Amino acid sequence: MNLSNLEMEKAHVISTSFFFRFEDKLQTTHLPEMVFGESFLSLEHAQTGIRLHFNALDALKAWKQEALPPVEVPAAAKWKFRSKPSDQVILDYDYTFTTPYCGSDVVVLNPDTMQTSLDECSNLCWEDTEDRIDFVALSAKEPILFYDEVILYEDELADNGISFLTARVRVMPTGWFMLLRFWLRVDGVLMRLRDTRVYCSFGGDEAKPVVLRESCWREATFASLSAKGYPSDCTAYGDPNLIAHKLPVVMQKTQKLKLPN
Amino acid sequence: MGTSDLDRQIEQLKRCEPLTEAEVKALCLKAMEILVEESNVQRVDAPVTICGDIHGQFYDMKELFKVGGDCPKTNYLFLGDFVDRGFYSVETFLLLLALKVRYPDRITLIRGNHESRQITQVYGFYDECLRKYGSVNVWRYCTDIFDYLSLSALIENKIFSVHGGLSPNITTIDQIRVIDRKQEVPHDGAMCDLLWSDPEDAVDGWGLSPRGAGFLFGGNVVSSFNHTNNIDYICRAHQLVMEGFKWMFNNKIITVWSAPNYCYRCGNVAAILELDENLNKQFRVFEAAPHESRGVPAKRPAPDYFL
Repeated sequence: MNLSNLEMEKAHVISTSFFFRFEDKLQTTHLPEMVFGESFLSLEHAQTGIRLHFNALDALKAWKQEALPPVEVPAAAKWKFRSKPSDQVILDYDYTFTTPYCGSDVVVLNPDTMQTSLDECSNLCWEDTEDRIDFVALSAKEPILFYDEVILYEDELADNGISFLTARVRVMPTGWFMLLRFWLRVDGVLMRLRDTRVYCSFGGDEAKPVVLRESCWREATFASLSAKGYPSDCTAYGDPNLIAHKLPVVMQKTQKLKLPN
Repeated sequence: MGTSDLDRQIEQLKRCEPLTEAEVKALCLKAMEILVEESNVQRVDAPVTICGDIHGQFYDMKELFKVGGDCPKTNYLFLGDFVDRGFYSVETFLLLLALKVRYPDRITLIRGNHESRQITQVYGFYDECLRKYGSVNVWRYCTDIFDYLSLSALIENKIFSVHGGLSPNITTIDQIRVIDRKQEVPHDGAMCDLLWSDPEDAVDGWGLSPRGAGFLFGGNVVSSFNHTNNIDYICRAHQLVMEGFKWMFNNKIITVWSAPNYCYRCGNVAAILELDENLNKQFRVFEAAPHESRGVPAKRPAPDYFL
């Protein structure tokens, strides 16, 4: 799948009115502190109309669907013994904004009726495969013809860590590669890394290229890391690139995009 | 330390040039003498200009002073979170502290949740001190000063100002006066709540954050606090608001945010709240300093062989 069209839109965080629209669509008043709702990454193949699209709204829809239970911070243990106000309400949404989102794909039949939505991702067929993304080929320092990155959302967990979703892409003469990354660190508690990598190698045959998508989820608690002799202070876990290998894989799968004949 | 030394240091800091370690030590000692005398509820007279979080965004704070006027001509109240996140926490905090020592009656600094040893070790200030001075001494001097910062301010007995919000342990403002504040910010209790809690639309009374720690308070809590203490409204900071300021609960509480383009990527505007001698309000909204005035060019992300 040669790239005929690569769109990258980077916008500022949504304004208040945009926020209300998001709240409405998602049926929640709890959104990440920074939602770059107008930003997206889109990769399109003109001959087939296949478009891979990555945006915050669909990612947050998936967050809402997964609805993980909230993660308690270390101070919560002490708070259990605090005398509580009689009218106290406990909020219980997943404030980490953990999402299983791996992109919204669509086939654009007619550019005017283009629809991008999670519900319609059945448009494209991803099949499980034994193939693996060729990281050796990707490590080759061939020229990068295009590179960009975009933040889709980010939250500081009220100074209890960090949560963000970003998309990055690079295009080389022999193929393109993108990484959608959800990264979460709840200070003193746990880290989660959910990566989706999509690689298209042009190979020798431009007509029948291979598009592979690998999802890899990693997760570890600070307690388990410390038991293995790794540092237990959160300052050691600032950059997910440097510490990903220390986090055990909890889910991994590779899929191949079934291209229409 | 004479006035002329101090004036020279202020000029130097205004150019974003940090002081020497020895100068920081002397400045902090002097500041401690002033801050130790302040009440937990520092009395502030109008006119005054109220500023929210700065987070080490030094060049954006210079924009703030351009918009609001220089200290001491303008009387300032800063609601904490001077450090962390931005690139210039050292210069930002030292400039504010030097102004405090030079003009103690024209600038009030109260404590934010980032003015803490634990938080600054995670979110930037500690690393910045280590990088700029090669030792953590400056971080130690500054965090020792943090313990002396007041917890709140009361403007003309009518506007209660605090970094975070209210606490279920605090019904009257007098209860704040008896807190022993000269300590690291605790993990729970009234002092913690004042620096950490948030107003929340989804509750009327008190709410507990899904994190299991941290109070949220609703409109009823604010109404009854304001009524009990005979104040007009609460002015707080602590949360990013895209338009720089945000009223809640029928104008009974306002959030003021003074870090434009927060973390250099957020695209928000910032605001300060000017109160005249009759407590009439005027919001001044401002944007981030242009890139060319920061000494570093805006750059696109460098291509990266990420895997």
